[in-house]
Amino acid sequence: MFEPRPAPMVPAAGSRRHALVPVPAPRTPAAPAMGELWLAAHFSRLPLDALLPGTGQARAAVVTAPEDPRRTVVACNERAARQGITPGMGLNAALARVPGLRVEPRQPAAEAALLDRLGRWALQFTPVVSLEPPSAMLAEVRGSLDLFGGAMVLLRRALAGLSANGLTASLALAPTPRAALWLARAELAMTVTRADALPGLASRLPLACLHWPEETVTALAGLGIRNVAELLRLPRAGFAARFGPRLLDELDEGLGRRPAPRRRYVVPERFDESFDLPVAAESVDVIEPALELGLARLETFLRVRASGIRGLRVDLLHRGQAPTRVVLSLARMAGDASQLRALLRERLGRCRLDTPVVALRLRSGVLLPLVIRDAGLFERGRSSDPEATAQLLDLLRARLGHDAVFSVLQVAEHRPERAFRIAEPGGMAGLPLPWPAPHPARPLWMLAEPQPLDDWEGALVTGPERIETGWWDGHDVRRDYYVARSRAGVRLWIFRERPPGQGWFLHGVFG
Amino acid sequence: MNGVAELLRHPALWRGGDAGAPETVPTGFRALDACLPGGGWPLATLIELLVPAAGIGEIRLLLPALRRLTTAAGEQPRWVAWLAPPHLPYAPALADAGLDPARMLVVRPRAGSDRLWAMEQALRSGACAAVLGWTGAADDTALRRLKLAAEEGRTPAFLLRPATHRGDGSPAALRLALVARDFGLDVEILKSRGGAPARVERLPVH
Repeated sequence: MFEPRPAPMVPAAGSRRHALVPVPAPRTPAAPAMGELWLAAHFSRLPLDALLPGTGQARAAVVTAPEDPRRTVVACNERAARQGITPGMGLNAALARVPGLRVEPRQPAAEAALLDRLGRWALQFTPVVSLEPPSAMLAEVRGSLDLFGGAMVLLRRALAGLSANGLTASLALAPTPRAALWLARAELAMTVTRADALPGLASRLPLACLHWPEETVTALAGLGIRNVAELLRLPRAGFAARFGPRLLDELDEGLGRRPAPRRRYVVPERFDESFDLPVAAESVDVIEPALELGLARLETFLRVRASGIRGLRVDLLHRGQAPTRVVLSLARMAGDASQLRALLRERLGRCRLDTPVVALRLRSGVLLPLVIRDAGLFERGRSSDPEATAQLLDLLRARLGHDAVFSVLQVAEHRPERAFRIAEPGGMAGLPLPWPAPHPARPLWMLAEPQPLDDWEGALVTGPERIETGWWDGHDVRRDYYVARSRAGVRLWIFRERPPGQGWFLHGVFG
Repeated sequence: MNGVAELLRHPALWRGGDAGAPETVPTGFRALDACLPGGGWPLATLIELLVPAAGIGEIRLLLPALRRLTTAAGEQPRWVAWLAPPHLPYAPALADAGLDPARMLVVRPRAGSDRLWAMEQALRSGACAAVLGWTGAADDTALRRLKLAAEEGRTPAFLLRPATHRGDGSPAALRLALVARDFGLDVEILKSRGGAPARVERLPVH
């Protein structure tokens, strides 16, 4: 049974959930100061803030869930809220209220990036920061209270910092991370310092602040349960049997009856160093020794961390001018300098220097754990070596440009010009496609556009193959295709539009 | 017995006794194999194909070998690099021919001077089952570099050039001139290291 009255429980050492034993709450006044105090920040408008920095107050704006057929509003700005739009509303209903509404599809990657920046920002208050994706963050601040002059000052500073960046946040303080999250999500701007005060607040916490699955909340609402206090009155065993032990654990974690270790946010490590040149360099050759030194330092840096990088930025610094920037992004992780050196030579060789270079700055991308592979004795040039392929891809793209190297994929489509697409090499392990029906031979070469054949004098070999399709999307095709042979002996794939009369077009060459 | 012979021809098979003899992959055309030393396309060297007009069947001539080279048993299909092809390789036709389109690495350099450089890199990397390159004029040094890169990366290099370069000298280990004839292909072996000049008529490339 949940306890109707507050009675804190702590797990016995090494015990499991079933072995929870009630113990009297500590009565000494010094005790609470020893426990943790968690600051939770919930960003209800994070999906919007991630896309429109500065909240875009000028116009009503919403962010919608793109994969949802109703295009439900997931976040709206102040102006939209004032005109009656609320999260959870369908897009049609929102547009009916505000016809000139700005609508953006949700972008989870941008949200994750913003949350990451917030985590970095929160490290100014305490070293113990933890992210709670998608839209909340936690920081353990007990040790920082004295430094900042108390909980109120700390909260005020955090709020001021967030709103200066145009972010809307709801903050709360509680002795357990989960309880702090509940309070922040419920937008109860509260400071709770003792765990035994939490059950008393439960009646002010709606079920929604638990962020439980929708069907669970609906089922609980069906039982007449509207807030956490009512939830705590349910029998423990029955609750666990019906909704699973995980949710029961969550409640225990929130009330401090069960420890809830959290993953700490760690700032990703990077290599970032500058190297002054002894004399200002007018050509790329002269910076070579400094670049060599930089790469050697980077290599040592990576080796002692057993890490590799996928990106490197090299800035050639000029006096009183913006740096010349070379950015490498690698298809394969690099753990030593040899590959980077070859790529940088290629890129720097094509750099034109208008002003002398006084220093170099090398800044790596995020470090990634390096997996070391043994090179097989007979492997070289024999098996499909993904490393060698990725390395080749990087090298070709460094000189020829990204778009000059690609792969092709088959697309299940009857229109010949749409039956393929350009793709990133190695992106897809080619899956056999269910081809719609057995079909006559296709040419190995496809022309970018069908070319009119003015005076066609070859011989038709096979055909016609009638392709009539695509009427549904306005790009319909009505053609009779033939395999033909030109006088030079080239096998061609040509067609005539239907109804006939417009002459012949060349579409492919058999190769 | 036939099965064993088939197995022994598999490119994934490495036999100690082979050292010295040129490693080859069957062309897929019996008449042509009979004229080539080692009974097929030599691996790890430069092969030059002189073509009067793009599209007479030069790719169809290479398809059986490409299929064999890319699909070693129990392995991921290997890459085939297409350097500066005259048109875009068409994915459905590649799939019909038994090549995985997603394993084709198409490289289209803007500058002509980058073509041979890119081909050299693809060969040297050893990442490809075969490298196909198209070029017009090429000096002897550039071709020698290609041949060295092919040997170093142990990758066959098929260089396709217009037939007008027939008179030029070439360091290629194998040099063929192709002519379209009666829905087939006439192949003239101009130069063959360890073999003799020969002529194969009406290869059924379909």
